[in-house]
Formats: sequence, C-alpha cells, structure tokens
Amino acid sequence: MKVLMLGWEYPPHISGGLGTACEGLTRGLAAEGVEVTFVVPRAFGDEDAGHMRLVSPQNLKQAVAQAGARVVRRTEVEEETTPELAQIVEINSILRPYQTPETYLRERIEVRNGKRYRVTEHLQSVEDLPEHTESGGGDHYGHDLFSEVHRFADLVGKLAERIDFDVIHAHDWMTYPAGLEARRRTGKPLVVQVHSLEFDRSGEHVNEGIHRIERAGTRSADRVIAVSHYTKSVIERQHGVEPEKIDVVHNGVTRAEAVTRYHVEPDDDEKMVLFLGRVTYQKGPEFFVRAAEKVLSRYKKARFVMAGSGDMLEPMKKLTRDLGIEKHFDFPGFVRGEALEKYFTLADVYVMPSRSEPFGITPLEAMAYDTPVIVSRQSGVSEVLRHALKVDYWDVDRIARLILAVLNHRVLSDEMLEMGTREVLQLHWNAAAKKAVSTYLRVTGSGGAEPVNGSFF
Amino acid sequence: MPSVCFYFQVHQPYRLRNVAPFSEAEGSDLFCDTANSGILWKVARKCYLPTNNKILELIKRFDGRFKVSYSLSGVAIEQMKQFAPDVLDSFVKLADTGCVEFLAETYYHSLAALRDRDEFADQVKAHGELISEYFGQSPRVFRNTELIYNDQIGELVDDLGFRAIMAEGADDILGERTPNFVYKHPHRELRILPKNYKLSDDIAFRFSNQGWEEHPLTTGKFARWLHAHSGNAQVINLFMDYETFGEHQWEATGIFSFLDALPHDVLTAPDWQFQMPSEVVRDVQPAGELSYWRTTSWADQERDITAWLGNRMQREAFDALHELGGHLRRRNNPAALSLWRKLQTSDHFYYMCTKWFADGDVHAYFSPYEGPYDAFINFMNALDEIRQQILSTSARLQGVHS
Repeated sequence: MKVLMLGWEYPPHISGGLGTACEGLTRGLAAEGVEVTFVVPRAFGDEDAGHMRLVSPQNLKQAVAQAGARVVRRTEVEEETTPELAQIVEINSILRPYQTPETYLRERIEVRNGKRYRVTEHLQSVEDLPEHTESGGGDHYGHDLFSEVHRFADLVGKLAERIDFDVIHAHDWMTYPAGLEARRRTGKPLVVQVHSLEFDRSGEHVNEGIHRIERAGTRSADRVIAVSHYTKSVIERQHGVEPEKIDVVHNGVTRAEAVTRYHVEPDDDEKMVLFLGRVTYQKGPEFFVRAAEKVLSRYKKARFVMAGSGDMLEPMKKLTRDLGIEKHFDFPGFVRGEALEKYFTLADVYVMPSRSEPFGITPLEAMAYDTPVIVSRQSGVSEVLRHALKVDYWDVDRIARLILAVLNHRVLSDEMLEMGTREVLQLHWNAAAKKAVSTYLRVTGSGGAEPVNGSFF
Repeated sequence: MPSVCFYFQVHQPYRLRNVAPFSEAEGSDLFCDTANSGILWKVARKCYLPTNNKILELIKRFDGRFKVSYSLSGVAIEQMKQFAPDVLDSFVKLADTGCVEFLAETYYHSLAALRDRDEFADQVKAHGELISEYFGQSPRVFRNTELIYNDQIGELVDDLGFRAIMAEGADDILGERTPNFVYKHPHRELRILPKNYKLSDDIAFRFSNQGWEEHPLTTGKFARWLHAHSGNAQVINLFMDYETFGEHQWEATGIFSFLDALPHDVLTAPDWQFQMPSEVVRDVQPAGELSYWRTTSWADQERDITAWLGNRMQREAFDALHELGGHLRRRNNPAALSLWRKLQTSDHFYYMCTKWFADGDVHAYFSPYEGPYDAFINFMNALDEIRQQILSTSARLQGVHS
C-alpha cells in the first residue's frame, strides 16, 4: 500500500497537535508496511523523522527558489530518495495550520518589515529559519490564505501525476483542495481526515470560506476519518456527511524515549495549575481564568500558568487584571522543548477547558509527565481517557472544584496517574495505523486492487 | 436432613448530594433525597414489592415449609420508612409468618468492624433495636457488611452474644472442605455458615447469561444440582442480594417464575427442607473448626476487601472519616454523629474503586458518580462540611461561654 499523504506541518515545527498526530500516524503506518509520501508546505531540515526519508530542506529550498513558486522539482526529490517507507516532500508555501486569513496577512506584513520576534507560535517557527525571512521569500507568497491553499493544491496535483501511490490521505481543510486536485488528476481514491473543524476553532463565527472547503472535502471524499466520535458527530451535523462514510480513528500516544525530569522544589504550599495551548476562542482560556478566581478564594497559594499565544492572550491578561488576580498568573507565551517539559513537570494539574476539541493530545502529554489532567467533555480525548477528571467547559464551578480537589488531595493525583498511565500505554499509534489501513482498503477495494479508473477493456 | 438456607441482602445507602464549594447548598442535609427516593421507588417496584409478594405467597402455598432469611440494613429501613412505607409493611407481613428470620448487621452497613470495635458494637446494637421494633425479633445470627469476615471479627461478634455468622465460602479458606456444612470459630462457640458461592452465583449472576453453557437455568436442573449433595451436606447456603429478583435479573429473564417453581422442585426430594439460619445452627453440630486467617468478602473474584479499601483514595477517605469520629463522639452532637455514620456506609467506598474501572463493569453500574475520582472528591467535600459544622458549633458554644 502506497499513500500520498498531505499535511501542513511536521514536528518540531508545529503550532498544534496536528503535526504530532501526523508523525505518530506515519510511524504507525511505516510499521504496518505502508509506504508514505508525506507532502508539507514547508520543511526545515531538523524534523525527527527517522522512520522516513528526510529530504534535505536546503536542497529543496534551492530547488524551490530556482523553480519559483510554481514547481517542485520532484525529479530531484526522487533522486535523493532511498528506499525508506516514507518521505517528506516540501512544497514552498506559507501554509501553516489554524490560520485565519486575517492572521496570515498580519504575519506577512510583519515578515516584510523584518519584525521577527512576534510572540505567536506561528512566527516562532519562522525564527528558526532566518534565511527564510531574509531571503525575500515573501515575494513568492500568494495574496491571501485561500490562494495559498489553491496554489498548494495545484502543486500537489502536479506532483501526484508523477509519483506512484494507491490512495490520497489529506489532513484537515487546507489540504482538502490539494487532495481533491490530486484525485481529479489521478483518479485515485481520496480519504480526508478531520483533526479539527472550523466549528471547533471558531464556534458560531465560522469563516465561510473555510467552512465551504471543509464541506466540499468531507462530502466528496471517498471516506472520512474522524479523530473521535465527538468529531464524527460534529461532521455529520455541520456538513451533513452520512455517518456510514466516517470512520473513527482515535489518536495514539507517542511515549518520549526519555522524559526529562525536573527536580521539583519541595514547596508544599504553592501549587501550579497549567493551561498550555493556543490562547484562542476554541481553547476556552476564559474558563480557566474564571475558575482560577474561584480557586484563589479558597486556596491562596496557587499559581496559574497560561502558556501559549493567540488572539485571546491580551484579553486574558486584561481579565486577570480586572479580576485582581494578575499576581497569581504567569503568561510565558508559546513554549516548547525544554521549557514545555519543565511546565508539564512542575504543574500539579493540567487543565484543558476547550470549547470543542476534536481530539486534544496535550492531556496525554501532561500525563506522561506525571501531571493529572482535567479535560473538557467536549473533546475527543475524553472518549479514551477514563482516569481523568472531566468537565463541561462552561462549568466554571466544577473546574474550580476539581482543581481544588487535586491541590488538596495528593492521593487523587497519585491514583489517577497510576491507573491512567496504564491506560495511556494501551493507546498505540499502531492501533490507529491499523484502522487507517482498513479505511484505505475500503476505498481501494480489498487488498489494494486497481482503482476504479484503471483500464476499461 | 439437608437444608437449603436462603439469605437475601436488602440495603440502600444514603447517596450524597453534590457537596461542593461554589454550589447552591440544598439545605443542611448532605444527602440527595431526590436520588435516594427515586432509586428506592424504582427498586421497590421492580424487586422489593413483587418479590415480597411472591415469597409471602410461597410461604402460604407450602404451609410453612418454605423459609427464608433477610438482612435489612438500618439505613435501608430508615429510607423505606421515609419514602416507601408500603415496602416496610410488606416486610412486616413476612415477619408475621414465622417463616422469615431477620439477621443482625451494622445499622449503617459500615466497615466499622475493620477499624473501630466500639463504633461497631454501637451500630450493631442500634440495628438490633430497629429490627426488634419493626419485626419483633431479636436477631441471633449476624452477617457483616458484604460478608466481610475474619477470625478477629468472629471474636467481636461472639463477644456481642451472637450464635452464628454468615461468611463467604472462599476456596482458599475452605481448602479441602466444602461450604455445605456448619463450621465453628477456632476459639469460640460462634458458628459459621459459609456461602455456597457457586450455586448462589448461578442464580444471582449467571441466571440470564446466554453465554453460560447451563443457560437457561431451570428449577428442575437447579434442584438436581442441590440434590446431588445428598448424603454429603448439612446445608446449602444460598446468599445473594435481594435485587437479584427483578433488578439484576429482570422480570423478562424469567427469574420470578424460577423463584415460584423452585421450592416445589427442591421439596420433591423427601429428605430436603428449607431452614432459617437459626434453625440450621440449632439442629446440626459443626463439622469442624474453620479459621478465616485472611479477611474475606463476597465481592469480586478475589473475595477480599479491595473493592472498598484497595486503593489510596479509599484508604485516605477511610482514615479521614474515622479520625473525625473521635472529635464527634467527644462532642456528642447527635445530628453530626448521624451524618458521620451515614458516611460510613460501605457504598461510599465502593464508588471509589478503581480496580475494575478500566473494564467498566459492575462497580460502575452501581455508582451514582461519573467515576471513582468524583466519588472521592465528593466524599471528602462532605467530610469537610461535617468538619465545618462541628467547628461552627464549637465556635458558637465558645461564644456563649465567653
């Protein structure tokens, strides 16, 4: 089985859980003997992709620069490819996840002005690639996000005509037009995977353009993979896709080989409550702040950390000032790597009060660092976690009450972690990959037979 | 002359309301009347009333040859009195037949035997008074909460003057012996009636299991299994939750027809009879001593107490609860004492069990909580509430004195 997989980010250059999920899934697929060609709008060269053939980003950048914005030198890519099961192909595009057209434009202007230190996760990725911003690459960018999406589609379509695969697997809306274009040009079946929906990200204020692309992608795909039953139900409701066409494939968990343990100072009184993720409408940060106010009325020595960036960050800072609890809050911005490990380790409890979270992998990461979790019931991850505390995101009283309980009763954390760790270990990416393969088999016909547009005689 | 000895457990805990900071208090009481009355009515409709009717009818039909025993917890009787007096009346009618024995247990269906012997004795005494008040009997045979038993508990129970106790017929305790005899405590005169868990569970758990090779279980077949022990048994102890009839095994499974036909089929063998526990220990000599060197119960495969005190949350909650007991009893505040004792009901600890949680089984079925963590949190909040009540009372009293 050969898969043309369309993503838009790959660790460590990620702004959400999608890149992590793609890494886990492709590793699982490699273990299943599936050959994956993974196409991303941009690669940086330091991706940890031992299971894949990692194409040199410098060469690719040169190739892209030489080719301008339109063409990927696929032949060069193939020349460098050793017979590994999966490879990453970079196509020069500014596509990055979870952008709205507005933030995309704002980012573009600031890049041109040489402002490299903006405090959003999107641009922090760019900081790691100074030559990119200095190269004047902005000239190649399209005028808006949608034209980027369609340009990516055009590039992928051309690439698809030249390589061999059995099925197209597209991750989230920005790659759906590319997936559809690849199918149009090759006749190969299309599987679209929904990690996140515009409805999840923006609630009732959906961007119509994105909503339409999602609808077209999920309706016309041969099959749809949803990362949770929760997401499946939202797809049915929002896009009218028949449930029989949607398979649920829960994300797995990648255990870090060695988790860095930070020595926790034996400060018995001060406890840390952690929010970590994009500070956006979808993630429900205001419920975290409102709950903090209630917790502090009973537990003075609690420290609240809101790690992440996003358009709700400033409003959240203001809210803490308005509530008079800013002294108890830290806003370290987007964190990753060592800093992220440190926050996960030091936290006494991790809270994910998302309004709508198709899966939500960070609670599993928190648990890997021995931090108990409180998760929104409006999340896919709550379907696979039993040893976690669950809340309706709007139920600020309950969030506060559960935080207090964890801070007050050490045994609660200990028990949840002991049981939860066993549970999480059972969530393998291999299991997710197996389910994805069965979806592939359904669209290609059993055993990966010739697709429908094969020879007609 | 071998006997069949039925004992049915009837118990309903006082389930806690959502006891939490930041929520609207539903009054000073910690318990959820809505849930408690609703569950009692449901179980009464499906089990207590129809089964009591059936038992009464059978006693009449067999002219006193069909006999059973019950243990009703004090908190169950209290709730019947409060929410469903007709259920209590139907038990009184059974008591009036003379063919029904009521056993002793702790009033609060508690785990006190494992921690606090004075508290245990107080609760047993209070329960005995309640049984005497409603059913006109002074219980002579004891059953501890969830059949939790060991040699030390046997001594406590013997000290309280009981003739016999029910216990689980656990394999490792019995060894080569069978549960179908009356045994004796190694150092006391206390008789032990071990549950025949295989035959009991055939009715209580496997009756409607279509995957079981013996399904469907007919009374003829079950009676043959009983009669097969002829000549090698004094008594077959069939102990189970009363909710087996109509609640765990729904009416549609045929459980009531089974109950209806069973006495006849048992009594077709002329030497077989039904007996109440007091009659059994009156009529037969113990077959030997039986030491319960470990603590057993009738729960789970392990037949131990880990369903209640197996994890750290349960132990912490149990410790905190009993720590508060000293303060409470010194203050002798009857209202607070009653609240505290209702928190001793074993169900509160059962809800905190994480042992089987991953499999989502029987523990989840009985719990009013979303899971064991919520159960623990709510319990600890309830304890805090009681602690606050004591403190505020003390503060008021100090104000008066100063």
